[in-house]
Amino acid sequence: MILDYFVSIIIYSLIYILIVTSLNLAYGFTGLVNLGHMAFFGIGAYVSALLTIHGVPWYIAMILAGAIASILGTIMAAITVRLKGDYFQVVTLGLVFMAIAISRNWISLTRGALGLPGVPSIISNKFYYMVFVFVICAVCVFIINLIVKSKTGRIFQAIRDDETAAAILGKNTYFYKVLSILISTFFAGIAGSLFVHYINFVDPTIFDLEFFVLMLSFLIIGGVASIKGTIISVFVLESVYESLRFIQISPEIIGALRVMIFMGMLLVILIIRPKGMFGKVVI
Amino acid sequence: MPFTDILPQLLVNGLIAGAIYALAASGFSLVYYVLKFQYFSQGAIMTIGAYSFFAFFTFLKIGYVAAGILSIIISILAALTINWLVYRPLRKRKATPVILLIASIVLLIFSSSFILSLFGSSAKTIPFANKAYDFGIFTITLLQIWIIASSIILFFVLWFVLKFTRLGKAMRAIADNKDVAQIVGINPEKIYTFTFIIASVLGAVAGVLLGLEQNLYPRMGVLIIVKGFISAVVGGITSVPGSIIGGLTIGIVENIGIWFLPSGYKDVISFTILLVFLLFRPQGIFGKRLRDDS
Repeated sequence: MILDYFVSIIIYSLIYILIVTSLNLAYGFTGLVNLGHMAFFGIGAYVSALLTIHGVPWYIAMILAGAIASILGTIMAAITVRLKGDYFQVVTLGLVFMAIAISRNWISLTRGALGLPGVPSIISNKFYYMVFVFVICAVCVFIINLIVKSKTGRIFQAIRDDETAAAILGKNTYFYKVLSILISTFFAGIAGSLFVHYINFVDPTIFDLEFFVLMLSFLIIGGVASIKGTIISVFVLESVYESLRFIQISPEIIGALRVMIFMGMLLVILIIRPKGMFGKVVI
Repeated sequence: MPFTDILPQLLVNGLIAGAIYALAASGFSLVYYVLKFQYFSQGAIMTIGAYSFFAFFTFLKIGYVAAGILSIIISILAALTINWLVYRPLRKRKATPVILLIASIVLLIFSSSFILSLFGSSAKTIPFANKAYDFGIFTITLLQIWIIASSIILFFVLWFVLKFTRLGKAMRAIADNKDVAQIVGINPEKIYTFTFIIASVLGAVAGVLLGLEQNLYPRMGVLIIVKGFISAVVGGITSVPGSIIGGLTIGIVENIGIWFLPSGYKDVISFTILLVFLLFRPQGIFGKRLRDDS
């Protein structure tokens, strides 16, 4: 029992780390504040759920989850990264509401608000699934880390720090911004797939803003553009949250309490140290 | 039923939805105009207004007018507290508009969780003795007439304040050039406080009317302020009258659109409009051309 409990905390934490790190690639490293990141996570979850329910093997479903999230992300980025000022953020935020509306109303595909139950597990033993999630997340985070350290990653950071200068140096900033979202949303899709095969269910609440702002609090508290910070903040904050469960109150209130505590911490961090604990830059 | 027969009813429905969008948009747009950031926590103020109206009306059993006045006061206090605790420290740190935007979204989600922990997640209703008037080509309820009447009155007062009072002039001065306004002796913090007060009155009324027309639920502010934002962009985000026209436009287009599409696709319609405007006319219908400095 108690082991199952820790296993589930670790599985969630690993998936959160992948979500936040993939978001950080666009948000922290390229300066693209993609408030619609969770839309691509949700799309990955839906794609993987639908394919495996219809008998497609999980490894194909997982790759397609990443690919379809990435294709949609690239289309979104191709249209929106040129928007001026803070319009990029708000349009990406709007995507979340579009995703909610479509997943609720495309009944023949998504069963609407009822959601899709019976999503098959990849590995039924939870402990082995934890090991599996660890391997996938470690590989993905390692790849993101390699990209960040590569020449491409340095161009991303140059665009974040001074887009005009990067353009003057002959870099096609439009191409690199779209590329950043392409990679970022691919890993969001993979995270969605890992998530849906663990909870065996998906419905439109996967797109809820509460979920996104929790990820954002991991990102900003841990540190903007810091992969190490993300890993630490996810594990520390998740332990804080899980210890809240020992207070005897209803799960609904605990959920609300968690959001309030994390949001409170995030606001304090934004005011006193906007780059976060291990962050390098302020976006 | 042929489309032309139902059109008057769809237009009236659109006008009612649009009046609430316009109330949401005008507060959002006013703060954007004066303080230059995306004020999504206006949605929180609307939810707080609606729920405090519900609490005063059901628990204290006072009349609509008293409950309305008290809920406006609560909303103003909430907005000023948020400004004092969050936005002012952020302004002092010279936070970027993106940080202010994130803070406003965080506050929006914080408030919906706060309301949920106080009132629970189930929908609440405020009893209202409603009656319908049949005009042959369309039907309208008493409450819906109230919605349209009170928004017209509020917009007129807002226009008057912005155009003719000393406060309105000071707000426009701060919006145009903060540094110059400061040199001539206008205290920006004081003007910001008044801006939040006016926006909160608009927000509280919008929240209460929405709560009467539909139900109250903790997340009501999230979707409505997003619609308010879309309206503001369509009308011209820096133009308060524009945002009102934008709200009415979005309300009418959504309601005509659902004649052709399932009603759940309302949000898809409005986001498509948002995207089209952002791509081809980011300054909106009435807004001034955006500067390229951001």
